[in-house]
Amino acid sequence: MNENTNFSQEVTKRARKSNPVNKGMRSKVTLRVITYIFAALILSLFLLALIPGIRYWNLDFFTQAPSNGMTSGGIFPALLGSILLTLLSLAIAIPLGMLLGIVLSEYNLEYIRFVVTILSGIPSVVYGLFGLGLFCITLGMRTSILAGALTLALMVLPVISSSVYETMYAIPRELREAAYALGARKSEVIFEMLVPSVKRSILTVSFVAAGRAIGETAPLILTAAVFYATNLPTSLLSPVMTLPTHLYFLSASYGKNARWMAQGTTSVLILFVIVVYTIAFAFRREKK
Amino acid sequence: MSDVIIEVKNFNAYYADKKAVKDANLKIEKNKITAIMGPSGCGKSTLLRSINRINDLVPEFRIEGEILFHDRNIYDRETDVYSLRRRIGMVFQRPTPFPMSIFDNIAYGLKLIGVTEKKEIKEKVRWSLEKAALWEEVKDELDKSALKLSGGQQQRLCIARAIAIEPEVILFDEPTSALDPVSTQKIEGLIEELAEEFTIIIVTHNIGQAARISDYTLFMYQGEIVEQNETTKILRNPTHEVTQQYLSGKIG
Ligand SMILES: Nc1ncnc2c1ncn2[C@@H]1O[C@H](COP(=O)(O)OP(=O)(O)OP(=O)(O)O)[C@@H](O)[C@H]1O
Ligand SMILES: [Mg+2]
Repeated sequence: MNENTNFSQEVTKRARKSNPVNKGMRSKVTLRVITYIFAALILSLFLLALIPGIRYWNLDFFTQAPSNGMTSGGIFPALLGSILLTLLSLAIAIPLGMLLGIVLSEYNLEYIRFVVTILSGIPSVVYGLFGLGLFCITLGMRTSILAGALTLALMVLPVISSSVYETMYAIPRELREAAYALGARKSEVIFEMLVPSVKRSILTVSFVAAGRAIGETAPLILTAAVFYATNLPTSLLSPVMTLPTHLYFLSASYGKNARWMAQGTTSVLILFVIVVYTIAFAFRREKK
Repeated sequence: MSDVIIEVKNFNAYYADKKAVKDANLKIEKNKITAIMGPSGCGKSTLLRSINRINDLVPEFRIEGEILFHDRNIYDRETDVYSLRRRIGMVFQRPTPFPMSIFDNIAYGLKLIGVTEKKEIKEKVRWSLEKAALWEEVKDELDKSALKLSGGQQQRLCIARAIAIEPEVILFDEPTSALDPVSTQKIEGLIEELAEEFTIIIVTHNIGQAARISDYTLFMYQGEIVEQNETTKILRNPTHEVTQQYLSGKIG
């Protein structure tokens, strides 16, 4: 018994000697190396896609429509279409997603949460087909900004609501109790205590959602985008060009002569995503 | 006892089928400090949390019997539980500052009772922080996040938040058990001062704390109130065997 204790103490002592100093250091270094390798991979990926296109950027590239069978001009209509679609879809999805997230966390709705989780895993092309059937055909919106924005909104809704749900749910029960103990009603606990304290997370996820919405291609081909629009959109029911669909059409059906425009467009998309995620990341960091 | 403000009558409390408080009977006197003591799990918090009906939030919680506040049963159908909680405030074991500024923490409660005028809110924020002995420390940084305060300061903020809406009774559930000795001492002093204006019920594990600040003590064991009396009498001369054991440190 006594010997045993001594022995195990000895082992612990030895382990302590080697562990935090040597082994700890070694695993720290290994971790760091792995991190650097990944960072380098991601960075080179970005740079390889981002850099080659930047040289095509000039004022015309951003302000002109494509011309001469996509061999000259710029991407203005696609840029405008993407911005309109992203903003409109977020304007729809953020309030709804917030509300859904709040309802999920404050009311015991296990099965709806399950459905939302499934929805966030469905491929975007399925959302596109759904939007095509419901918005474009059944509701008669045809191929239009509105149909596309609604489809995108449906797609990012589960993302936003899951994230709002997670942050709300993580707020300790004691805090809710403390608010109730002051005589607050449920709505006063939710909208005047909980929601203000998750404001920042909502902002963060909005930018993440913007990053997803801007790059979606398949659902927009089905619901909103045309490969070439002679006019700028005049209403929410007009079809538009967008950056990712433009890129897709360029690569799929135009030859070498349009490659420069594809590269330039790629760079714009990547830059956009970098900016949006950087903002989201900055918000998240500041919270901590 | 003269001025009785709360009376608990034949009160039982259950979590599903588990009986947590058994046939409790007690009277709380106005402007006095009543301590509830007893070993862990004996039902102190359950009894306390029944008095402002905050335990209504716990699923499967149910009660039998009555708790009278100014001679009216708070479990009556017509009781407005929200205004009841405004009149019976509560401070919890772990500090519960809301994740917002110091000022907004107190303003939150004020807005709930319908104080909307900016000047009045400012005055009451100051008044309550002064009463909670926190004003001098935070007066220049009311916009700072309450989460950046120390644990002891956070707890005093929670006290300020509770008194800002001017309740009649304040319930404390082990308010110092998560704090260091210096903060504990400050809060004990504070509670004694508050007793001039409010009626106070405090759950505590700390015999010294009960001795220092309370006028009356209830001693609970396995859901039952086994002894209640003036604190000095109970501490000097416990009549019940478990109380004696608890006070001598044999159980707890
Ligand atoms: N939410 C709950 N659901 C089920 N049982 C509970 C719940 N809260 C408390 N209990 C049980 O009720 C009994 C009394 O608990 P209570 O929290 O009132 O004790 P306490 O005296 O405050 O203990 P402590 O000193 O540890 O805080 C315990 O047996 C506990 O396990
Ligand atoms: Mg307790």
